[in-house]
Amino acid sequence: MTSIQQQVHTWLEEGRVDIFLAYRMVEGHPLPHAFTRERIDETDTLVTGPARYSLEKFATHIASRYPDAKIGMVARDCNQRALNVLQVWNQLKPGQVDTVPVNCCPSLLKPHADCSYLEPKPAGHVKLERGQDPNQSLAQADTLPRAERFDRWMYEFSKCIKCYGCRNICPVCFCKDCSLEHPDLIGTGHLPPDIPIFHLVRAVHMAGRCIDCGLCEDACPAEIPLRLLYRKVNAIVKDLFGYETGSGDTLPPFSILGDKPTMSPQPLLAVSQE
Amino acid sequence: MTLKRMTFLQHLLDFMGLAGRLHLEWISSAEAQRFVATVTGFTETIRRLGPSPLRSAALRRYDNISAAPVPCSGPASLQPPAMPDSGIQIANG
Repeated sequence: MTSIQQQVHTWLEEGRVDIFLAYRMVEGHPLPHAFTRERIDETDTLVTGPARYSLEKFATHIASRYPDAKIGMVARDCNQRALNVLQVWNQLKPGQVDTVPVNCCPSLLKPHADCSYLEPKPAGHVKLERGQDPNQSLAQADTLPRAERFDRWMYEFSKCIKCYGCRNICPVCFCKDCSLEHPDLIGTGHLPPDIPIFHLVRAVHMAGRCIDCGLCEDACPAEIPLRLLYRKVNAIVKDLFGYETGSGDTLPPFSILGDKPTMSPQPLLAVSQE
Repeated sequence: MTLKRMTFLQHLLDFMGLAGRLHLEWISSAEAQRFVATVTGFTETIRRLGPSPLRSAALRRYDNISAAPVPCSGPASLQPPAMPDSGIQIANG
């Protein structure tokens, strides 16, 4: 029994948590699984590895049904950031979720790392020619001329098959009524989706919420570089409001009015002539 | 709050390559001249920027999708049926 299996076993046995969310090996595949006291022997099959899922999303579903449940889960840095955001947005009570930290992004102090995003897919020649390379930096994406930037983003968005995978996997998408399904706003059942509205609506809703876990991009069957887009969203929120999403328990700038205005409307034409 | 959201959206649209097409201004019902000046100025701005690229992008995509199917060399009964109306609405700029 590995130390993490032992720890989860002890936590369940002692009643520190009622349910523990982690991964379990099923037919050679690590799948998300809820370990409980009633079936405590299952902890023998608990595994750690590069597989990622938004376990905190399960936690919010459990918490909404059983508000007093004590939930445990394995957490990478991105899971922890998501938990912070979900607490800020009142989806989880503070202290309701107990975490066991697991390996995550590499660093000089921590040579071993586990994450499905560690080796991003290299962009093929069509993507490099017509689309947006998901591995480029924000600064690179910003340096292209506006018209080219627009064409490249529209090429990426035009591949969308409107599967809602990005929203479904997103750990911080918790709204009961989603704008992307509302019949008066976007609506379901029509293909192809209205671009860029579909993607921009989602991007706007990610402001002050996105914790840059990259699961949306992992999930996207059309390989739209969503993480790059939402990184820009985070960068704007940080530049304009000095707010770092997921870092703490402060409310995002779009949830508070503040006691005095700190901004003024943008000038009529902030466009440099290109 | 509106100001925060609009400023954010202006930056996001700029990142996508659609800068200068979104403008926010507070005008009281008593400020008719300011309203005229703002609308006139913004109309000029938009005219300088030219037609919205969204329209041409939508048309381009429409062309790609409704491209004629490759003719098959069988009897007429085997010919592919006419493409149904794809129901795409061209976005207004």
